[in-house]
Amino acid sequence: MEEKITQKSSLYRKEKIYAYIFISAPVIGFVIFTLFPALYSLYGAFTDWNGLGQMNFIGLENFKELFKDEYFYKSMYNTIFMMIGIPIGVVLSLLLALALNRGVPGTNVFRVIYYIPVISSIAAISILWQWAYNGDYGLVNQFLSVFGIKGPNWLQNVHTVKPALIIMAVWKGLGYTMLLYLAALQSVPKTFYEAAKLDGANAFQTFWYITLPMVKPVTFFIVVTSIIGGAQIFTEINVMTPTGGPEFSSASVVWYIWQKAFGNFQLGYASAMAVVLGIFIFIVTYIQFKLNERSTFDMD
Amino acid sequence: MKWRKKAKVFFTALVFIIATVVAGCSNKESSSDSGGKVELTFMFSGQPQEQTAYKNVVKKFEEKHPNVKVNVVVTTGDQYATKLKAAIAGRKIPDVFYFNPGELRAYVNSNILLDITKYVESSKDVNLNDIWEKGINKYRFDGEKVGQGSIYGLPKDLGPFALGYNKTMFEKTGIPLPDKDKPYTWEEFIEVCKKLTRDTNGDGKLDQWGTGLNATWTLQAFVWSNGADWIDESKTKVTVDDPKFIEALQFFADMQNKYKVTPSIAEAQTLDTYQRWLRGQLGFFPVGPWDLAAFDKQIKFEYDLIPWPAGSTGKPATWVGSLGIGVSSMTKHPKEAVELALYLSADPEGQKALVDQRVQLPNSVKVAKEWAKDPSIKPENKQEFLDIINDYGRSFPTEFTYNGEWYDEFYRNLQPVLDGKMTAEEYVKKAKPKMQKLLDQAIEQEKQASKK
Repeated sequence: MEEKITQKSSLYRKEKIYAYIFISAPVIGFVIFTLFPALYSLYGAFTDWNGLGQMNFIGLENFKELFKDEYFYKSMYNTIFMMIGIPIGVVLSLLLALALNRGVPGTNVFRVIYYIPVISSIAAISILWQWAYNGDYGLVNQFLSVFGIKGPNWLQNVHTVKPALIIMAVWKGLGYTMLLYLAALQSVPKTFYEAAKLDGANAFQTFWYITLPMVKPVTFFIVVTSIIGGAQIFTEINVMTPTGGPEFSSASVVWYIWQKAFGNFQLGYASAMAVVLGIFIFIVTYIQFKLNERSTFDMD
Repeated sequence: MKWRKKAKVFFTALVFIIATVVAGCSNKESSSDSGGKVELTFMFSGQPQEQTAYKNVVKKFEEKHPNVKVNVVVTTGDQYATKLKAAIAGRKIPDVFYFNPGELRAYVNSNILLDITKYVESSKDVNLNDIWEKGINKYRFDGEKVGQGSIYGLPKDLGPFALGYNKTMFEKTGIPLPDKDKPYTWEEFIEVCKKLTRDTNGDGKLDQWGTGLNATWTLQAFVWSNGADWIDESKTKVTVDDPKFIEALQFFADMQNKYKVTPSIAEAQTLDTYQRWLRGQLGFFPVGPWDLAAFDKQIKFEYDLIPWPAGSTGKPATWVGSLGIGVSSMTKHPKEAVELALYLSADPEGQKALVDQRVQLPNSVKVAKEWAKDPSIKPENKQEFLDIINDYGRSFPTEFTYNGEWYDEFYRNLQPVLDGKMTAEEYVKKAKPKMQKLLDQAIEQEKQASKK
């Protein structure tokens, strides 16, 4: 039918207006609560803002100071170190998802059990784990003492504080990642597995050549979002090691930002650090996307 | 399509206009009064029993002043600092709020706190002379030095940090009890600790120690009683490389590593010294008024208070902590706000409730004296708390400076010294330049802030 529509019907226009109104709510929210503060803080990074009313432009002073700051580098190191939990979490949750995908009785119960930590308040979980890691009567050390191991004071010892936080973070995120993988596994066409079986593939080959590539999009999503989230880790550290850990060994970048901003009246400096962190995350994410593009395939 | 483009531009503009208007509107002062009543906002944080106690005090205040309504905002301890600073940045400062005395200078310089001197002095409800003078002085500032000048806050409480000892352990070990008026010298202290550190049940492992102290809270007692300090009188120069400071710090570390009168590093890792004290494994341990509630419940032995061991000055020293109650400089009702602050700080009934909860000692000098004399309230020598306030207690060094970053730097990397891996002298030589830089930065920041 060749009908040139020159005038839209009034119903069409009305629906469009309603559509815009519905969309405008979150968009306005985004502008007020995210965009404006982000731009304000970007400006603040170039000032000596102290949070109490003083805000004079000082150019790149904060950034110059930042690149000389040993604690900034230490906090970056801590943050990146704690990202080791990401590959561990990915592997563990994939294994869990494979196990649950077999359709064992009680799958739903397990799903709930693993997902509860995900929706629990991070502050509440941090407090619980803080007690669990307590050097003398914490659950972790009590558990270890069953095997005759005398557990250290996890959160006070320079060498064990980061592993302790990593274990907790992996535990918390397991359910979410597992659920994503479960859904992805169930969307792999069974025909592939049948074909592989006919060709004589063993379990490992099936996994490596079919399952893993088919869930690659999910893996990519999880890794990207985990790195973005992991770079901003804060609540766990502030609750479990309020002073930044023994010899600053558990302080993350965001924790250091918070300390400078709300502890020492240096919001300008903290904003500069936040800007640098933001650029860092952006670059890392961009690289990941580029790498992913090169190895994407289409199956049609 | 022309219509499409116009719609997009219009829509985007509309979104931004609405956003700006909404953002701008929220800056308006919102403490408007409803129906002739004065409305005040009071923001604070505290443990559950403190929260209930304070809410009751507020209710009584409202009864006494029927034309005032108080909106109470409570947060948990760890969120308080952030929430308060956010409120200040958004210019929605609560009329009455708690603040840390270390932040006094910053707040005064940025015009956050109201000068309440004339209101406090002319108050009919509360007599200024009855509140601890040292407590009020913590909140005096004349623009140059803290401790003198106009009043910018009232003490919520004073927390003298005393030293306690396990009386039962002394008696069991057969050592004469410490004198409650004469402090030990450091040598005497070590001797007593050595006698107390022993294996009581013959299994080859130590079961009790002289003491186990945390440097964050107890190093001050040793440094100050030896005649040293973290900064000088002018509060602008870091003095941690003073030989007397080094001596005190080294002595502190030696307690664990050289004299071995404290649990070893490994033992301290598995059981916190606070827990060991509660279980009766330590001879000496610090006691603050906030500890009394927990000690009542958990301590099975008899304990009492004594002065801290004295270094080369011959006099003991320790710190007195505090939290301040401040009034916003932007409050619309200064008179009523100050009345509320005074009530919270010094009202006898409110004080009684808090003291009965065993979380603080009374703010009123009169009431405190009677409380100290009362033998039915443990521990016996509560007078020691009062002696600290009146005589040998001091403020933390950070209460005199714009921020505490330079001081935090000292503790950040101190652990190797406490573990015996580094000498005190090596450490302070490395730490001093870093601390001085941070202190200089803080002073510079303060100058910038008060330029306006």
